[in-house]
Amino acid sequence: MRRELETNGEERRDSMMLPLVLLRSSVVLAFAALGVGFWLLQVVQHDKYHQLAENNHRRTIGLRAPRGNVFDRDGRVLVENRNSLNISLVREQVDDLESTLALLSEVSGVPSAALWSVVERNRRDPAYQPILLIRDATIGQVSAVAAHALELPGLFVQELPARHYKTAEVAAHLFGYVGEVSQSQMATAEFEGVRSGTVVGKSGIESTYNQLLMGQDGARQVVVDAIGREIDTVGEIAPAEGRQLQLTLDYDLQEAAEAAFRLAGFDGAAVVLDPRSGEILSLVSLPAYDPNAFAMGIDSDTWSGLNDDTRRPLNNRALQGRYSPGSTFKIAMAVAALEEGVVDADDRVTCNGGATFYGRFYKCWGTHGSVDMREALEQSCNTYFYTLGQKMEVDQIHQWATALGLGVLSGIDLPHEVQGLVPSTAWKREARGEPWYPGETISVAIGQGTVDVTPLSLAVMMATVANGGTRVTPHLLKAVNDGDGWVPAQPPGPRSQVHLSPETISAVTEGLWRVVNGRGTGGRGRIEGRDVIGKTGTAQVISLKGRAAAGETDPEFFDHGWFVFAAPAGAPEIAGVVFGEHNEHGSLSAPIAKHVMETYFAKKEGRPLPVLPLPATPTPEAVPPVAVTAVAGN
Amino acid sequence: MLERRLYRHIDWLLLLAVLVLCVIGVVMIYSTTYDPTTGLAGSQVSTQLWALGLGLIGFIVMLSVDYRWFSDSTVLICLALLAALGYALMFGTTGGGARRWIGLGLFNLQPSEFARIVVALALATLFADRRRGPQTPTGWLMTALIVGTPFLLIAQQPDLGTAVTLLPVCFGILVFAGLRLRYVAVLLLLAVLTAPVAWTYGLQDYQKQRISSFLDPEQDAHGAGYQQIQARITVGSGGPLGKGFLGGTQSQYNFLPVAHNDFIFSVLAEEQGFLGVVVALGLYLFVILRGLDAARLAKDRLGTFLVVGLMSGFGFQVIYNIAMSAGLAPVKGLTLPLMSYGGSSVIATLAAFGLVLNVRMRRFTN
Repeated sequence: MRRELETNGEERRDSMMLPLVLLRSSVVLAFAALGVGFWLLQVVQHDKYHQLAENNHRRTIGLRAPRGNVFDRDGRVLVENRNSLNISLVREQVDDLESTLALLSEVSGVPSAALWSVVERNRRDPAYQPILLIRDATIGQVSAVAAHALELPGLFVQELPARHYKTAEVAAHLFGYVGEVSQSQMATAEFEGVRSGTVVGKSGIESTYNQLLMGQDGARQVVVDAIGREIDTVGEIAPAEGRQLQLTLDYDLQEAAEAAFRLAGFDGAAVVLDPRSGEILSLVSLPAYDPNAFAMGIDSDTWSGLNDDTRRPLNNRALQGRYSPGSTFKIAMAVAALEEGVVDADDRVTCNGGATFYGRFYKCWGTHGSVDMREALEQSCNTYFYTLGQKMEVDQIHQWATALGLGVLSGIDLPHEVQGLVPSTAWKREARGEPWYPGETISVAIGQGTVDVTPLSLAVMMATVANGGTRVTPHLLKAVNDGDGWVPAQPPGPRSQVHLSPETISAVTEGLWRVVNGRGTGGRGRIEGRDVIGKTGTAQVISLKGRAAAGETDPEFFDHGWFVFAAPAGAPEIAGVVFGEHNEHGSLSAPIAKHVMETYFAKKEGRPLPVLPLPATPTPEAVPPVAVTAVAGN
Repeated sequence: MLERRLYRHIDWLLLLAVLVLCVIGVVMIYSTTYDPTTGLAGSQVSTQLWALGLGLIGFIVMLSVDYRWFSDSTVLICLALLAALGYALMFGTTGGGARRWIGLGLFNLQPSEFARIVVALALATLFADRRRGPQTPTGWLMTALIVGTPFLLIAQQPDLGTAVTLLPVCFGILVFAGLRLRYVAVLLLLAVLTAPVAWTYGLQDYQKQRISSFLDPEQDAHGAGYQQIQARITVGSGGPLGKGFLGGTQSQYNFLPVAHNDFIFSVLAEEQGFLGVVVALGLYLFVILRGLDAARLAKDRLGTFLVVGLMSGFGFQVIYNIAMSAGLAPVKGLTLPLMSYGGSSVIATLAAFGLVLNVRMRRFTN
């Protein structure tokens, strides 16, 4: 029995040998395949999957660096940072973006289309990167989002440093504004390595000194779990605040200039500088804008409002406006004529209300009789300067005007400076393809014709004449503080230097002194005991004929009035230009210069600053950083 | 019941390998359920330890009673299984969209985990006495009945994954019972031909989703493809030597869902690396081959078929789960026997090994 069973067993085992071998070999094969599979994943492709795993649970969260504060020459903070509350979205944590945005739109009052467009713009960013949906949210919006936190996963309130211009519109063009770096900026060498979304300077000193002000954005590396909760902080690079800048700007003078403009009731521009160094003390362009509107990204309505405004508030007239210099150009003419030796300061010309040159009669605005150079400057006698124009080549005028700073860039540390034009024969050949006609020189001699200048370049001319021929470079940067104390900035050297003979200086200075202190047109700029020198000028907006046709009623066609000035004569400490837009005459610009100079001297001597009889002005601090207006939505 | 002579023939080596795998499983469950903020592991660890205890009791019971006694009671056992499956289907506890558990107060029992053993026992009993093999109308009918009934009940839960594990059990026994190779070919052909029909009518949307996302996980990186992508990342990032115990970022930060359950092997691969994978694969391979040894050594056809059925089911599930855990197969709700968290799975698997050792141990007895 036992034997039979054994045989049976053997027989059975033989018949099952094949399936068993097959089964075993397939198991071994399957395990070998698994082994190879794991080897491929874990050894061959390890680096790739290691990286993917790191990306899974590590997040780098950008920490925005506050930009450096900006101070005036007395150490007053003018531009600083404030905390802005923003509503941000992390798409990774949102299941249903559509309903999230719909609800957010409902509770915040922000149109859903606007929210979607922000999301669309950032569609390509990683899903864990917060998208700023509502910048500078109101308290109402923040609390509405907080109240709906459970229904709005993935939305959170993000605190970010935002630029705050304490003085609002005052000196707006000088400071400029900030914004997110643009695609075209990122393509330039200056912004190499700057991440998209970084806030950079877009204009003014924010732009010029962006590298100093910007600081270094930090980052926090965190470990997150599968639903995006931060579990641990692995490392943090604290954001490094930008460097602090001290400007040459004197806020008192800036305020004085802008207040005087307000009192005068017209727009325009003013540049006030120290003729010895080129330090800008005040730089005005009106109308202005509030750079705070740009701090967290400007909304499109405000932006198009600024852009479409016919008064062009974004335009910095001081260095971007090109205007005919009018009679202020006579200063350059006087210097050129004396230095070229075509006249002597004592040579006389008789003005009979005009004179004929090259067969055409050129009018003077009055009948001045016999005048020498000093008297001609004092009374702004056209006939005298026509005569100089007749005696000189246009290229001589061009050469001297250029040496004084006209028709060239001043080199100021502000972006987008525009170059004026002082014509020359070479210029006309190139630009117009025509030879220079001597008759044109007659118009140029009184600052008309093709001559045009920026207010800034006229200020440089005045400084150059006042300081005896050194064409200083106007500049704004006084010192830099990178955290270890203030280091004075290396002032830019003069752009050029010409030797003006003492005779020239004394004759021109005397003429300009008389403009203000004698019978001239600048009497409103006179300050007792300060020996102010100056010159008015009128920039014709359209020809007299055109003006007559327009009916002379539209202020758009009113002339602009110039007043260039320096004080005190002989040893000037302050010089500059006031440009009154459509204010008809330079004599109306002079009081603004006077108020600035009075403020300067009062401050220098420790006296109370002069106060203008102005209606109460809105102080900058009255503008709240976060507008607590209607609680939207609810 | 356990005579001294039998005691000597217990396959201690196989038992040791099985227990080592269970211990590795517990350690991995500890790791995946560990909460770094509290410094505590989840309750799953103690549940699993309790289940292991019960499983060992089940193991001893299945080992002690002669397997032929079970065979004699096949009909009764089959009816008990069907009753349990039916009960689970109608009154069972719901979890994860499926009704597969019977609440027993202390824990929930998943009867489908035991279906494999019962089917193996029933088929082995059926063919032990049928020398002519399965190729007779009665053979086919009985096979279809024994496999089909629990299959349909389990698939209704729905738990197609567990239901499908009955097929290798059946297939293995049929081949050993003398299924001719041309029938094997016909069966395979049939499977291929019915696949499109099954795709259209037999599969739920989520099942289709799983298969299509297996073929292209990126198409649905946040849905069904997510687990698969994360499984590959988990395994691949483990590298040759692993990230260390509790060091797996994928599992610790929950990027891999149900890691302690279906994806326990991914966690092992992440934390212990390729080295750990090779060790674990080696242990599983040893367990399967050593288990199949019992089929060769078995005293009778019943024993052989029983062991083949049990080991086929076990082997299939191990291979499929490990492939899935590396993102190399579509995601299916299949546990990794011995290692995965799951009381019923642990108890049923240990009981099955009790039977395998039973057959081997009693190879000399009458």
